[in-house]
Amino acid sequence: MNSPRPNLKAMWVLGLLAASAVAQSGKAPSVSMAPVPLTKVQRAAQTKVTLNFRVASGFHINSNTPHSEFLIPTTLKIDPPTDIVLGKTQYPEGKDLSFPFSPDEKLSVYSGDFTIDVSVHPLHAVVPGKYGLHGTLRYQACDNAQCFPPKTLPVNFEVKVVKEPPGPHKNPAQSPHVH
Amino acid sequence: MSISEKPEGEEPLQWCPKCGALINRSEALSPEPAPGTPRCDACGQPLAQAPLDSGNFPTNAQNTAPRGSGRNPLALVVVAVVAALMLYFGFHMARRSDSNPGMSITKSGIAPDFTLETLDGKSMSLSELRGKAVLLNFWATWCGPCKIETPWLVELQKEYGAQGLQVIGVAMDDSGKDDIARFAQEMGVNYPVLLGKEAVGEEYGGVPALPESFFIGRDGKIVDRIIGLKGRGDIEEAIRKALNTQPGSTQAGSVPAAVQAQE
Repeated sequence: MNSPRPNLKAMWVLGLLAASAVAQSGKAPSVSMAPVPLTKVQRAAQTKVTLNFRVASGFHINSNTPHSEFLIPTTLKIDPPTDIVLGKTQYPEGKDLSFPFSPDEKLSVYSGDFTIDVSVHPLHAVVPGKYGLHGTLRYQACDNAQCFPPKTLPVNFEVKVVKEPPGPHKNPAQSPHVH
Repeated sequence: MSISEKPEGEEPLQWCPKCGALINRSEALSPEPAPGTPRCDACGQPLAQAPLDSGNFPTNAQNTAPRGSGRNPLALVVVAVVAALMLYFGFHMARRSDSNPGMSITKSGIAPDFTLETLDGKSMSLSELRGKAVLLNFWATWCGPCKIETPWLVELQKEYGAQGLQVIGVAMDDSGKDDIARFAQEMGVNYPVLLGKEAVGEEYGGVPALPESFFIGRDGKIVDRIIGLKGRGDIEEAIRKALNTQPGSTQAGSVPAAVQAQE
């Protein structure tokens, strides 16, 4: 009962102060990822895992499909463990945005909160248990007047592979084999 | 947060007025309390008998302090110092982003010299442009505001080139030379584009965001600096400032920390 607990609120306040200091310093703005709850994924089936990201207030990043070939798209790259296959990554639609000095030129961006869905497909050979998936989100951020060099955010989450449910019983009653 | 706003499940807590320890009042006011006023577990001082629904309850943040052990003064000092340092550096860096901090690049205000490769494979040094007013524009192909600004620079080069202005674009791109050249061609760039290096950016304050332009007078001194996309008028005003300087004895390239492309 008397054991000291980490002062979480103070740490949170410190985190906010740090973010504020970084933002004021003109350094690259941050994109953060919310912790991903452990997702049960069934063997030999595809399960969608949703990753939630947040772009710091006042900034935007290019969508996965920016309107110009010169702009750097936001891309998620994950290296799955052996025998876990990733299906198609579903990026959200970008929102159209234009800079004040060039209202006619539209950008396709993410700002605030956005999600990326990943399809996880463990093959039948995978031993049930927890598996870590690791990767990166590459993005390039701007505010309404300047842009920051591309950055990568580590993306880590775990899935719990479970056995597929037993299939329907396909052996109707038969007469016993005679050996 | 008063106790009336307290989320369910939180225990009533109270600070000891003497030593600052956080006391769980539900324990202090247990069914069999010590005779007299409840006392602090840490120092034994009597606790105030404020009603549980009074506004004197610790805030939510206070509730997170370790119970029974009181505040650790050292931890509080560390937190305060760290917070103060972060705020100080944050505001310090923010001030550096003002529109005219160019003199902080070098004490003398002289633009650091560099030699970089041009798109056609030649080398170009800033010091070659002595006697000219130089608009040194750091940009990248992936930078949307740079794309908006570039046509302005093309126009300004046309307009002020005869008066001695030389715009220089320094591409801080990871993409290849071909992409940069294609972008420059599409934008009709009429001034030299150099392939930037991080070391050159460092000499100019790090160039943490693009676009960033330095306006260098004929004497090689930085007279103005614009960070981010501003109006064409702001750029033009800074160009005039650079053009109005006189060639002096100082010149770009005379600083010892010159950056060479070969580094």
